[in-house]
Amino acid sequence: MNKYLIPILIFIPILFSQIFAVPFISFDNIGPNLILILLVFYTLLNGQIYGSILGFIFGLFFDLLSGGIIGSAMFSLTSAGFIAGYFFNPNKIETNFSLLNFFFIVFLSATIESFLFTILGPDEFNFDLLKLIFERSVVPGFYTSIIALIVIVLLPKRNYQND
Amino acid sequence: MIDFVKRIIYSIREYLILIILLLVSLSLISQNETPSLQKIKSFAFVNIAVINNIFHNIFISNNDSDEIIMLKRRNAELMLTVNKLREYAIENSEIKGMLNFTNESESDLLSANIIAKNFGNIIGNIIINRGEKDSIKVGMPVINHLGLIGIVYQTSNDFSLIRTLRNSKLKIAVEAQRSGVQGILSWEVEKLTLKNIPATYDINIGDRIITSDFSTLFPPKIPIGVVVKKENNISGLVSDIVIQPYVDFNKINNLFVKKLVISKELNEFELNLLKNIKPNE
Repeated sequence: MNKYLIPILIFIPILFSQIFAVPFISFDNIGPNLILILLVFYTLLNGQIYGSILGFIFGLFFDLLSGGIIGSAMFSLTSAGFIAGYFFNPNKIETNFSLLNFFFIVFLSATIESFLFTILGPDEFNFDLLKLIFERSVVPGFYTSIIALIVIVLLPKRNYQND
Repeated sequence: MIDFVKRIIYSIREYLILIILLLVSLSLISQNETPSLQKIKSFAFVNIAVINNIFHNIFISNNDSDEIIMLKRRNAELMLTVNKLREYAIENSEIKGMLNFTNESESDLLSANIIAKNFGNIIGNIIINRGEKDSIKVGMPVINHLGLIGIVYQTSNDFSLIRTLRNSKLKIAVEAQRSGVQGILSWEVEKLTLKNIPATYDINIGDRIITSDFSTLFPPKIPIGVVVKKENNISGLVSDIVIQPYVDFNKINNLFVKKLVISKELNEFELNLLKNIKPNE
């Protein structure tokens, strides 16, 4: 149970930061997804099924508290957790948390998460595919990965194998 | 046979779980406007407002003295009056003489502080520290000294949720003040847009956009923004008009809820509209 409880407890302040603080560091509504960084972090520690379920729970809370469309963040974060879970390997946890690997995994998950969240969100979806891919998916994904790098650098070194 | 099925299920369990979770998410998306989900959303909204209010009080000191709030209120009232005067200058003298200026210039503004903002590509909501106990009701327009901000969408005892112009679900009947061209304004991912305006209509860059006389949600003549761009579509028959709102949503801290004094019949008509189709027109 602790496996889910601890990330959810950490999730609460992260959620408030995402809703109320991230807009201050966003450019043209493009900002980092702090929730996704937390999701990828715990998915790489616990696996694909865990990542999908945790993404679903995070998405549910985010949708409820952000006043958005209930189900959109649930869908996108569940998918992101599943994708990040592909990289889970109990013998390579340390490797996954190396700067380059973690950057890549967060980038991939965040890009797909942003893509899905954008296409599920608007009632009238009317912007072109290139813009959707680059401006609404890749750029937020890259921004999120940069913040994820900072998080990994600042996190105290620990033996992830024991978590 | 059962063992075989179990083995198969076990080998694809990640995908099964993913599919189940995604199907639940998709079904919730389609059920968003059902009363039960609306109830859950209201519950979540009230709780987040309470928590955020505590956060706001602890970390954000509100430096606005009573005098500043009073001046801001006066500014908002003057904005409404100035806009009416602009309108009168455009109308001919006969119509101007027939207007009952005294009655229309009465305004009832209730000042409020923003305790939370949530602006994304499609979601543009604000939570304010006024609610039903301050006589705030769903459907009341929200303004500041620059112009229209949005509409009260949800209320609790102490807080209200404002659906702003930057919310794709809010659609407003507007008109160009100079030419009277009518249209429906909505937030299209990144910009406020008047969609499908015939290319032959008289609307130019720099024209002021105000709420329309035909609006069933907002009082007429509240300024919204200015035309900054005309985007012709491929056929060249219609254009999308891009509007720059007067209000800078990133900077607003205080706002005013305009307590509308309207007839009961119209009030009921508006609320019926809200019940049926959300703040759309």
